[in-house]
Amino acid sequence: MTGRTVIYNARVIDPASGLDNKGGVVIESGVIADVGAGVTKATAGDLKIDAKGRVLAPGLIDLRVKTGEPGAENKETLATAGDAAAAGGVTTFVVMPDTDPVIDSVALVDFIQQRGESVAKVKVLPSGGLTVSLNGLKMSEIGLIQEAGAVFFSNGDRPVEDAGVLRRAMTYAASFDALVASRPDTPALSNNTVMNAGAFAARLGLRGTPPEAEWIALERDLMLAETTGVRLLVDCISTGRSLGAIERARREGVKVSCSVAAYSLFFNELDVGDYLTYCKVQPPFRKEDDRQALIDGLKRGAIDAVVSAHDPQPTEDKRLPIADAAFGAVGLETLLPALLSLAIREEIPLTTALKPVTSGPADLLGLPQGRLAKGAPADLVLFDAAAPWACDRDDLSSRSKNSPFDGRKLEGRVLRTWVNGATVFERG
Amino acid sequence: MADYAFPHRHLLGIEGLNRLDIETLLELGDRYVELNRSRVKHADVLAGRTLVNLFFENSTRTQGSFEIAGRRLGADVVTMPIATSSVKKGETLIDTAMTLNAMRPDLLVIRHGSSGAVKLLSRKVDGAVINAGDGTHEHPTQALLDALTIRRRVGDIGGMRIAICGDILHSRVARSNVACLNVLGAEVRLIAPRTLTPPGAADWGAEVFTDMRKGLAGCDVVMMLRLQQERMDGAYLPSAREFFHFWGLDEEKLSNAKPNAYVMHPGPMNRGVEIESGIADHKTRSLITEQVEMGVAVRMAVLETLVKNAPEFGAQIANKAGAKT
Repeated sequence: MTGRTVIYNARVIDPASGLDNKGGVVIESGVIADVGAGVTKATAGDLKIDAKGRVLAPGLIDLRVKTGEPGAENKETLATAGDAAAAGGVTTFVVMPDTDPVIDSVALVDFIQQRGESVAKVKVLPSGGLTVSLNGLKMSEIGLIQEAGAVFFSNGDRPVEDAGVLRRAMTYAASFDALVASRPDTPALSNNTVMNAGAFAARLGLRGTPPEAEWIALERDLMLAETTGVRLLVDCISTGRSLGAIERARREGVKVSCSVAAYSLFFNELDVGDYLTYCKVQPPFRKEDDRQALIDGLKRGAIDAVVSAHDPQPTEDKRLPIADAAFGAVGLETLLPALLSLAIREEIPLTTALKPVTSGPADLLGLPQGRLAKGAPADLVLFDAAAPWACDRDDLSSRSKNSPFDGRKLEGRVLRTWVNGATVFERG
Repeated sequence: MADYAFPHRHLLGIEGLNRLDIETLLELGDRYVELNRSRVKHADVLAGRTLVNLFFENSTRTQGSFEIAGRRLGADVVTMPIATSSVKKGETLIDTAMTLNAMRPDLLVIRHGSSGAVKLLSRKVDGAVINAGDGTHEHPTQALLDALTIRRRVGDIGGMRIAICGDILHSRVARSNVACLNVLGAEVRLIAPRTLTPPGAADWGAEVFTDMRKGLAGCDVVMMLRLQQERMDGAYLPSAREFFHFWGLDEEKLSNAKPNAYVMHPGPMNRGVEIESGIADHKTRSLITEQVEMGVAVRMAVLETLVKNAPEFGAQIANKAGAKT
């Protein structure tokens, strides 16, 4: 990049600073050189972009993405996930360690970083497996893997069932102030289930995951975080009670943060409706009360990160009786529209709605991006905050099309995305 | 100080010793270093006395060191071969002790894999008991020999900054050393990953570090601990190479200590795991072989002090025999 790019006539939103104002951003050498109301058409620059009053915000940071690379490239590659991310205004995403082979070594961390840099349009950050091969038995080389660039440690979708192993892994991780992410689940309660347990699942004749599966594991993890002093990210909570437990622990000084999948804010169990396999996800869509409680949490800033929980599954694994279908939903391209739709329907200020996809996750990982600040990387998204559209899975950039938003009406569309000042997506 | 009456019948740990107790032993040890360096390394203060080595755990250096110490002082030294499989139950252990006690040893040097086992035995025998290491509890003669090594090399331990690094959790050497160095007025630091840091270690009178570079800053002496192979299998530590990367003593990490800081290790060493060979073998900075030499001297001091301190031996046995009949 030579010269300066001036994006002017925008509604500039920066959740980190609370900014929501008319103005613009100046990009120089891939970095934000200036931001705010002072940036106008008259500002000096080689390239001028008229935002036409649309919203300019930091590019999104997504803490939970699965691709199929390495190991299941038929589902998604880092390149196709990068395309989907750019189209969704996501400029940084973290890949989960449950790949094949598992990201549990310095070599795999290097591979993800190098591959991400060479083929993906957006920034790709690896997370590391908490245990070797995610076997839940032996801790991985947490120190070396963190030094290589893993941003947190997780056992992916396989919880560490042995509390002794988890306690020692957390204790050891605390030596390096490493962030440990854990999706609270009790396999004895969630194995071979399809959706949220309850009256609706019973009527459909489907086996359900009771919320206790989440609560039991969550309480255990919170206790261990408290005694070991580790930084814990509770990954993808799905119930109001879980959020309450986390807020209580946080008040007591436990270093705990939490994330919620965008789908948990948007759907409830009734959306599984007519045995829709695209709505078969883990954790499952819960009761409407839970959804409302999570939205309230979002409004009061209790949720640190909203994630896409992007989990591509090919048609052959989804076009099956729902009990046999794979779990998972793609989400990179619907993360921002889902939040924007919620912002309109639930009257949430954009600075609040966007914090858990910008400065919230950036602060958890200690990243410089996710904010409109002088000197920060020019990772930006320009979107129309109210444009109505209907999601059609065939229009998704993702290699897999398993979106629960398929056919749904949404408000808010990405118009253009920049990474380090370079345009990586522009809606035609 | 020569006429200080050492007030303990046994040496079960450093815990409970005061500064005078420790310095008495170190000063006597100092004198024995000179004897050991002379051509005829013999004194006969223990002539006619019997020392029994009872090692329930394998040991080469400590057992050998006590054997040599006893022989140089003229004692009759017997090392009992112990089949560890036959003494797994507490009852059997005490039976063994009673059997040995009937042979009337003056000194019993005992090592056992269970913390507290040596103390248990000490209650059942008439001779003086020396703890040569019990489980993960204490190894008092190691702490004394370490103190003697430092004292002879650098002088007063008071005010010295000394780091103990590695597997503190499972180390009896660390526990004894922290106690000993604290009594002698050193500033003690413990450096370990959190999984190998004992709960409550911050209350031991030592400052606890996980970052070795920070922990070593300004240290006069760096004491490394042995890392047992079975700790590196993923339960406490992910791998030996990760341990070496963050907590193995190499030139770069050692450069954070004082310029001529000394390096110690109780042995046997895992080269390339907790310590780099170049440092272990360093001609001026490594005190590792000197520690072995001081071990014999300090053990001679302990043996002599405890024998001199023992109540009249024959009388005790006679009384007990009388009571039984």
